[in-house]
Amino acid sequence: MAFPLPRGITPPEISFLAEMEMVTILPRQRLEGLELLSGPAEPLLPPRRTTLPLWLALLLKRQRRANILPPSWLHPESLSLILDIETQHHEYQHAFSPPPPLPGQPSLRDRGKRPVATPRYTPDGGRYFPAPPFLPQNVTQDHIAAGEPPSLPFHWLEVGTMLLDAASDDLVDPDQTRRLLKELREVRTAKIRSGVDVLDAAASGGGGVALTGVGAMEIGEGRGFISGVVDGLRKIGASKEQARREQMAEDMANGGYDATQDDEDDMEF
Amino acid sequence: MSYYDIDSILTDGQKLPCTFELEVPGLGILEGNPGDKINAGTRIDLPLWLGEMLSIGARLGTSRLVTLDIPSALSERVMNALKADPRTVDLRALAPHFYSMSERVLELFEEEEMVDVLSNTFKKRAAAIADHAHNPKGALGDGVEFLRGLDETERQLFRVAHDSAKETRIWAGEAKKK
Repeated sequence: MAFPLPRGITPPEISFLAEMEMVTILPRQRLEGLELLSGPAEPLLPPRRTTLPLWLALLLKRQRRANILPPSWLHPESLSLILDIETQHHEYQHAFSPPPPLPGQPSLRDRGKRPVATPRYTPDGGRYFPAPPFLPQNVTQDHIAAGEPPSLPFHWLEVGTMLLDAASDDLVDPDQTRRLLKELREVRTAKIRSGVDVLDAAASGGGGVALTGVGAMEIGEGRGFISGVVDGLRKIGASKEQARREQMAEDMANGGYDATQDDEDDMEF
Repeated sequence: MSYYDIDSILTDGQKLPCTFELEVPGLGILEGNPGDKINAGTRIDLPLWLGEMLSIGARLGTSRLVTLDIPSALSERVMNALKADPRTVDLRALAPHFYSMSERVLELFEEEEMVDVLSNTFKKRAAAIADHAHNPKGALGDGVEFLRGLDETERQLFRVAHDSAKETRIWAGEAKKK
């Protein structure tokens, strides 16, 4: 390999992307509105809360010009609740705790509802659906819907670590938070590792493995290994897959392909 | 698998037992008697690329020059050992490119059961590799015996898992950058 870096993106790059998450700050000094590449930032007027990109918020925090209001999930109470879901809840024994619902997605409590996603439009009129880091997942909400369980956003590890590094005095009980984040990370790493057992579904035809609720850094860390395992399994199973396809083509030629052999995989990722 | 992939070139050199069906003049060099002929029924270990070429008649249905056999690394005995416990088998001693070779062999033979055994082996061992790779001491812990028995594919897997775990630790400030 001529290119020295492995495939995928490195941890510093992932945390760079996470710095585009919006967070809520409480400014201490006035500052005029800034024209940023990501869009205009509102002028800062001291007692009023504003949402800013994380990188700018961290910069202001380091200069002691602002305080960062931690997102609701970065609180010992929420974190220990999530940790309970990850470890105790039998439904999530091998799965990750559910991520925050996307806009338009029904929350966990009313599961039967159909998602109604409303697309947004770019200035040129192109449709798009926003995804992290462009969702307000780390912004402090004024009113949280009652009974809404806390959930880890996509960039939880990065945002959590950066806030603990730079703004630990703004957090509630930073030591406890740090300990819980570490514990969560260990629990979830163990789940990724034990998930190897279901990976052969991803290697066979028509299969897949759901990675719902896995954070950006966790994906980045597991990328090389998971794709390596899937690739290896695919190569070993290539001859079997070939035989299966031939069989299917034969069946099709002999009259009708019955839809029953569509793989119904129950993935616990 | 690219043309310049050193691992696929080395896999090509793995030996495969072949039996000659016909008498071939002038091929005695394979047996160590240059200039001589090779008799029908001779068993020689030929490299994968050569055995594949010579046996091609078998697949076309015409008279074949050699018949291939399953190499000893994939014999019944090894398969049974792998079924019993995939982690204790030293794959490297069997063949340095065990998986790439079995991949090629499986293209030549229809062995449904072998596919299952090998996939299961790969999965079980991959889980163990992940455990060892997340060990900050790297390959120096108690897993030395197991890690020495990894074949090339698994070594690459170990390397990539170890490197990404290390990178993340460095980012999180838990480890020092060397």
